Amino acid sequence: MLGSHEGRQPIGRATVHVAIVVSLGFVLLAVAAGYWGVIAAADLVRSPSDAAVIAASRTVPRGLIRDRAGKILADNKLDPNGEMYRVYAGKAISQVIGYASSVYGRAGLERAYDAELTGLTDDPLTDALAKFGADRYDPKDLSLSLSNELQKAGVAALGKRRGAVVMLDPRNGDVLALASTPTYDASGIADPTTARDTFEAIQADPDLPLLPRATLGRYVPGSVFKIVTAIAALGSGAINATTTYEEQPGSEKRGLLVEGFRVRDGHHPSTGSTALDLIGATEVSCNIYYALAGLDTGGKDLVAYANRMGFGSPLPFDLPTAVSQVTNGDGPEPGGFTDDVELANASYGQAEAFVTPLQMALVAATVANDGELMRPRLVTAITGERDGTTAVAPGSMGRILSVADARDINAAMVRAVEGALGQQFTTGAKVPGVTTAGKSGTAELGGSGEPHSWFIGFAPAEDPTIAIAVLVEQSGRGGEVAAPIAGDLMTLYLQGLR
Amino acid sequence: MTVVATDGRTLDGLTGVLRRIRPRPRWLEFRLLALVAFAVVAGSFSLALTVDGRFGLYDVGATVLFLVALAVAHLAQVLAGRRTDQILLPAVAMLGGISLLLMQRLPQDLVHQTILGVPLGLAEVQLVWLLSGLAIATTLGIVVRSDLWLRRYKYTWAAVGVGLLLLTFLFGTELNGQRLTLQIGPIAGQPSELLKVILVVFLAGYLSENRSLLVQQDSWIGPLRMPPLPYLAPMVAMWAIALGIVVVQRDLGAALLFFGVFLAMLYVATGRISLVIIGLILFVLGSALMAVLFQHVRTRVDIWIDPFADPLGAGYQVVQALHAFARGGLLGVGLGAGLPEIGGVIPIPEVHTDFPLAALGEELGMVGVIAILGLYLVVIERGMRIGAAAADDFRSLLAIGLSLVIGVQAFIIAAGNLKVLPLTGVTLPFISYGGSSILVNSLVVGLLLALSDKGVEPPPAPRVGSRWRRLRRSGVA
Repeated sequence: MLGSHEGRQPIGRATVHVAIVVSLGFVLLAVAAGYWGVIAAADLVRSPSDAAVIAASRTVPRGLIRDRAGKILADNKLDPNGEMYRVYAGKAISQVIGYASSVYGRAGLERAYDAELTGLTDDPLTDALAKFGADRYDPKDLSLSLSNELQKAGVAALGKRRGAVVMLDPRNGDVLALASTPTYDASGIADPTTARDTFEAIQADPDLPLLPRATLGRYVPGSVFKIVTAIAALGSGAINATTTYEEQPGSEKRGLLVEGFRVRDGHHPSTGSTALDLIGATEVSCNIYYALAGLDTGGKDLVAYANRMGFGSPLPFDLPTAVSQVTNGDGPEPGGFTDDVELANASYGQAEAFVTPLQMALVAATVANDGELMRPRLVTAITGERDGTTAVAPGSMGRILSVADARDINAAMVRAVEGALGQQFTTGAKVPGVTTAGKSGTAELGGSGEPHSWFIGFAPAEDPTIAIAVLVEQSGRGGEVAAPIAGDLMTLYLQGLR
Repeated sequence: MTVVATDGRTLDGLTGVLRRIRPRPRWLEFRLLALVAFAVVAGSFSLALTVDGRFGLYDVGATVLFLVALAVAHLAQVLAGRRTDQILLPAVAMLGGISLLLMQRLPQDLVHQTILGVPLGLAEVQLVWLLSGLAIATTLGIVVRSDLWLRRYKYTWAAVGVGLLLLTFLFGTELNGQRLTLQIGPIAGQPSELLKVILVVFLAGYLSENRSLLVQQDSWIGPLRMPPLPYLAPMVAMWAIALGIVVVQRDLGAALLFFGVFLAMLYVATGRISLVIIGLILFVLGSALMAVLFQHVRTRVDIWIDPFADPLGAGYQVVQALHAFARGGLLGVGLGAGLPEIGGVIPIPEVHTDFPLAALGEELGMVGVIAILGLYLVVIERGMRIGAAAADDFRSLLAIGLSLVIGVQAFIIAAGNLKVLPLTGVTLPFISYGGSSILVNSLVVGLLLALSDKGVEPPPAPRVGSRWRRLRRSGVA
């Protein structure tokens, strides 16, 4: 039995097979090592859960964050153990800057720009070389387009109400204010000695102070959405500025019947039997006119034009944004509408339309900038000691509609603020001595309490330098709450407050 | 001691022993070991330069001791004069050297152990194990000449194995949710490490004896032609033992290792892919059953599927290991320069036993990881070669099985580190910290060395003198 060569079946072939399988297994491991070490590495080494990043965040000072006037919004302090923690310029900016805490992680810009603020590069070669150097980290300072003063004014104007203010320079997309209320004490979260108490108190607050309403809040838009419908209707050629609907005046009393649903209006006493054109309909915020214009435009073009302004996907922005929508998009009709009733209702901002305040500010900015939408820009420059300053140039999101069409809507929005009838809907929106354009909105929430109050607008109408969106949650009619806030803030800006 | 010399005279005592020593140079091994020594010295310098103030003369002493031990092992084999494999030992020595460097680099307080009354830290204890392992491998490689003690008593060995498993079940101590450690008096060890060698010995014996029967195909299971059903019994028994290990020891890695090695040996012995398919089906069924029955299995699988779902909780260890590979990148940050400490703690828990590859991945980079994987492939290749060249089925299967024990185990834990497989708590052979692991894997290497002996060299061809001398001898000149 021992060592008998006789009658031995060869095992060589099977051994080779096993060897091949084992070798392939090890090749797989080598591929995995390459994946984690090289391909996935770029993201992993910059992630806040990386041990090197965590270790660095305790000792390396984070980059500073400055507003457009150079005021430091986020600074560093040393605790008694020699570890760094963040101090912020005030509560008003908490929703934008967020916080960097050793306990609760990151939020806001502190999260979005964590790698830059920590000083990790995204260039593998530089990073590979930096490993051998003494100082691996080159923390970058961020310069923002934000004005701390306007931001504070926005928060003060909202007061104790829940809401948001977005102010943009429509010419270059600079975000001047991105206020959300209620605010919270980000410094308290960043300071290790108070982090726990502060954070738990904030989390227990039913008003959700941690929610940046300007960028992540989604609201029924109500009549401010009519500007989106106007852009789509004019842009697609479905209507022009002089289009009127003869059935419109007749339907005002009993409502316009769309597939058995009645679209209703409240302005009949003031306009009577006159058939309104775009300007007239915008001045009195005519639901029936916009429902008819929306039906003429069709769901496909309405959604397409909205999407070109950023609906339907997260905005190209420095902070994460919620997705604004015209419709849920799961219906059989073009654009994803369920039926013409939904399309008609969406056309004046009800049905399944949900928007963020930032998105509505972009709609206003589109009209203000003669039809070309500039990408919203919050970080304007990134400065590092080693890498120098990298400026972030303004970018365009494209021409949404022609200059002529934009001017038509501009004129309609001017009438909505300055016109004799329009004033009744937008009380207080006018900037004294300056032609002001805008549109108010009163977003019905289907019987569950007070409507959201909206206003979007811009000034001066002839050559706009400021576009604004104001939302105040469940506070009543747009013309009464949001419009005066917008008027005051635009006035402050045009008086030179930065 | 009395031996009979070749010329028939009886030699006594020391003289006899010395007479029997016929040194045979092992130049290939010498050159490879020189390379290993160079690499280890270079690594020590690298550590000394990066780990300021912590790496002293003392650590240099450990390195020197390791190199001296290598030299002694080499010399002993030269003196023994056996024609055994010359590549296996250097490959394993390189892995051991890497282990020593890594343990010197990690915080020493990861391990406190007192050996013979002397309190020792991580690197020192590991050095003791490495030196003991080297001694075991070399001694077995020199001394073992017969395989009868393994071949004859295969069922006895199997009984010992099952007995160890039972003892662990009854008296084992639980650590981190696994019941792996058996303590008898002052000696503590992990029986599953020894069990894997016993398994290979048993299988080699069983399969070599029943090969021809297993190849017969006279029963059908569905569309698959099978050997006579009674001969499938060991397979089912193996499956049951593997499941038992999961249930008893909560040790997924060992179960995977046992079953993988078993299937490979079965395939080598029979050449029947149908048996492997049946085995894989049993494996999948068993895994599914385990996943349904046991929370700890499910947890492992969940972490494997998405460790980033809970990067600070359940997935922490795996996520930090992946981060370590990422920080290492292509070339690594250099020995001693990686693994940033957070509040004085290395970010990967159990790095010295479960994640040495991740630590090395950070410091030596992707290139280093691939080199280490290559070293394991060298060990497997040598084992397979020894098996292919062996004189009979038992020795063939034994050598192949033993090399797979090392290779598959290295694969399983490396795959766990790299998120190719769920993480299981097996050790990385020769690199992970741990006595049982290093001693048993050294035993495996020792057996492989012994099995690789090519026997007595044929006598050299008679030396033909110069033409002139031949002519002179024949009286012409």
